[in-house]
Amino acid sequence: MEYLLSKNVEYVCECGLLKPLTNLYFCRHCLNLRCFFCCHHEVDSHFCRNCLENIPSGEAKLRKNKCNTCFDCPSCTLSALSARATTIQVPMTKEVKEGGEGSEIEASSGKMVSKKMYYLACLACRFSSRDVGISDQPSQNFFWPEQEYMHAIRFNTILNHYYSVVLHDKQLKQEERRRRSTKQSKFPNMTDRTGLNVSAIRRQMGFDKSAAKPKSKPTAIAPSIAEDVDDLPEEIFTQPINLKNITTIQQRFTQPANQPESVKHLYPQHKNLSIKRSIRCRHCEHNVIKPEYNPTSIKYRIQQFASSHVPEVRIIKCDQLVPNKSALITLKITNPTMNDMIITIMDLPTEEEEKMMIEEMRKNFEKNLSVSNKSSLMRPSLIEDSRIVSCKITAKLELPDSSFVINQRDDSAEFDDDVQSDKKDPKFILWRKANKIAIQLSITPNGELKVNDDVKIGFSMNFTYSSVPSSTPEKKETQRYALCARIYINAGKIVQ
Amino acid sequence: MEICDMYYNKDEFVETASGNKVNRQTVLCGSQNIVLHGKVIVDKGAIIRGDLANVRTGRYCVISKNAVVRPPFKQFSKGVAFFPLHIGDHVYIGENSVVSAASIGSYVYIGKNVVIGRRCVIKDCTIIEDNSVLPPETTLASFMKFNNDGTIEGGQGTESVPAAMQDLMVDFTKSYYDHFLMAKS
Amino acid sequence: MSKLENKIKVMPKAVVCEDSTIKGDVTICSGSVIHPSAQIIAESGPIIIGENCIIEEYAKIIHRIPPDHKLAQEKNHVLVIGANNLFEVGSTVEALKIGEKNIFECKSYVSSNVTISSGCVIGAGCHVVGEQHLPENTVIFGKNCQQREALDKVSGSHMLQLDFLRKVLPNYHHLRKPCDIKKAANLS
Repeated sequence: MEYLLSKNVEYVCECGLLKPLTNLYFCRHCLNLRCFFCCHHEVDSHFCRNCLENIPSGEAKLRKNKCNTCFDCPSCTLSALSARATTIQVPMTKEVKEGGEGSEIEASSGKMVSKKMYYLACLACRFSSRDVGISDQPSQNFFWPEQEYMHAIRFNTILNHYYSVVLHDKQLKQEERRRRSTKQSKFPNMTDRTGLNVSAIRRQMGFDKSAAKPKSKPTAIAPSIAEDVDDLPEEIFTQPINLKNITTIQQRFTQPANQPESVKHLYPQHKNLSIKRSIRCRHCEHNVIKPEYNPTSIKYRIQQFASSHVPEVRIIKCDQLVPNKSALITLKITNPTMNDMIITIMDLPTEEEEKMMIEEMRKNFEKNLSVSNKSSLMRPSLIEDSRIVSCKITAKLELPDSSFVINQRDDSAEFDDDVQSDKKDPKFILWRKANKIAIQLSITPNGELKVNDDVKIGFSMNFTYSSVPSSTPEKKETQRYALCARIYINAGKIVQ
Repeated sequence: MEICDMYYNKDEFVETASGNKVNRQTVLCGSQNIVLHGKVIVDKGAIIRGDLANVRTGRYCVISKNAVVRPPFKQFSKGVAFFPLHIGDHVYIGENSVVSAASIGSYVYIGKNVVIGRRCVIKDCTIIEDNSVLPPETTLASFMKFNNDGTIEGGQGTESVPAAMQDLMVDFTKSYYDHFLMAKS
Repeated sequence: MSKLENKIKVMPKAVVCEDSTIKGDVTICSGSVIHPSAQIIAESGPIIIGENCIIEEYAKIIHRIPPDHKLAQEKNHVLVIGANNLFEVGSTVEALKIGEKNIFECKSYVSSNVTISSGCVIGAGCHVVGEQHLPENTVIFGKNCQQREALDKVSGSHMLQLDFLRKVLPNYHHLRKPCDIKKAANLS
């Protein structure tokens, strides 16, 4: 799993956080890295992760984001309940003669008919709906009886009360706003001066029956008073406890309405829905990731992964790290784009340079905002200042003295066995294979590091990026940019 | 970390025409019912029970050491039936895992010592962490990660499973196959 | 330790694959099915496996009394495994007394300090190590080996599975030959 979720090589996102390349996205319009933290998230679709059914968002809200058909096991709280069938003998009545679901055992005037009844069971902890007293249902999709909880009525009255309070507040605010902002029109209205308005005339004529909307008052509710609190029964102190009958805290909290103390009252809960989300860059409001609506599909409508635009650095191997002794580290750099890339490895910016970069970014953003003059679609974009990278370098890296070229990605190259070694490569390049290159650099861990300390190195990687022509027919030529990515590598731990 | 070269002895492995590399010390019961699509590596000690039902794997799968791939069964009133097990492309099954799923999608990473219960359905692009136990009949939707404490997290658009999981698994399994080399004696 | 002599008695109607590793004095009663690559090791004494048991691949039944155990003094302790037990893939059982109708799920581990009665289910991946006696119908599940009592009888028996396996396995595997009952009677 280190290949998939490795944290050895981390890139600096524009917001200043360090993330591995697999967690980063690339905004094609801002030409910058974006991460989960600095982007907008939007809910695309709801689905149940057990039955994989897409549920429209309106219905999801109505059902309180819970699936209709799937249940969570209340006992182990982790796995889902599945319906199991049993056959029972049911005395045959006149209506059941046709035998919709059952099959008659005795063809002649048989008195017993076998019928399939369903119960819910958890296969992880062997919990079953019969354990809590829910009777078996005749059909698999039959609605399992909903749990009643004691305070439902009181809850509803409180909820309605607060709805009316909110409505009342909203109306007050609207009134105030209407009073404050009187429409200033350029041409003075004759009727305004004389006090005759259209609405006044209409009221006089009797058109508007519902002249004044009655202001809603919040419905009053009686506060709940606990009248009688029973004393603790004496048996609590003397009765031996059977731990198997007492629910754990985790089991209780998955049923917040009831929070039962005894295992007999654990009721299956409806499963929560999951979402698919799309991610949008804050600066340019373009989508960076947009998955498909279908829950079973793994494709994306819009996919701008960083790993398909920014060169990827992986550690192949690293020598033993000893303080103050130089060790060799071999890195593999992959060019994921369809154009050749020229890469230069340089030092990381110092703190002052970083602060200047952040200032520049902020000024750029403010300038863009005033120029474009468009507010974002739904909400004002809240942009934080980028942070300064929090990682401290603990080793010195010897930079390679020249830039190097990495070939473009060619999918047909895997069938080609020829190795082209026409150019003379600088010494630090170990090998080249299609769009991959291995370089060897020497690092010297700092003297004050102790055994088992992490050795961190960092560098700036400048690479040339050619943007793919956008769908508009105006810009057909690819534009080349020089972009920079800051990379921090955890080379390993000090051995001696 | 990049995958390093892994060498094996020539007499340890059998390489088929479609590029499958199967260790001789595996137990492949009912091999006529086992279909390995191509470039599949079956490492030492693995058991594939083709005698119970058909087992099909896609291309570039890796079944590591001592893994057990076993079709699940379903009990009916009239008897027991073993269901065929379909594994998609680019699936990595870690060491010592027991896989009894009903179906495994493509681009799935299954860690070491994992127990996948009977009739589980594992969709594409999922990660199952090392040492986890999937209860029977769980469905693991796409882009979800199953943790070893039993919780499921993730979703398309979150960070638990990398968004480019498909490309990552293709790279991973292809480079695993490319680095699985015969030792030159 | 004395060398283990293999004295394997396979009763008729038991299906024991040749590929399985059986060491020591082991009696497998009729109706049981032992899958290939199973391991049954009788170090500290004979093992008697009851009827209609299923022992799947990489399952290990080890009869080994650790030297500091209270039964260590007893020579020739017999591990009696009851009928209708199911040992799933990768389970390791070192318990010294096993009842009937238990299920040991995948990769479970039961140490020699535990005695198991009937109807228990040891969930997948659970390591039951502490010295205890598991009462009837106990279900152990989860990462922390939570216990609960199963009120429902463990769903059915695996007779149907046994029928299927007894039909299918001989087609694909070499089996150990069952020994003659008369011979066994003569020997004892």
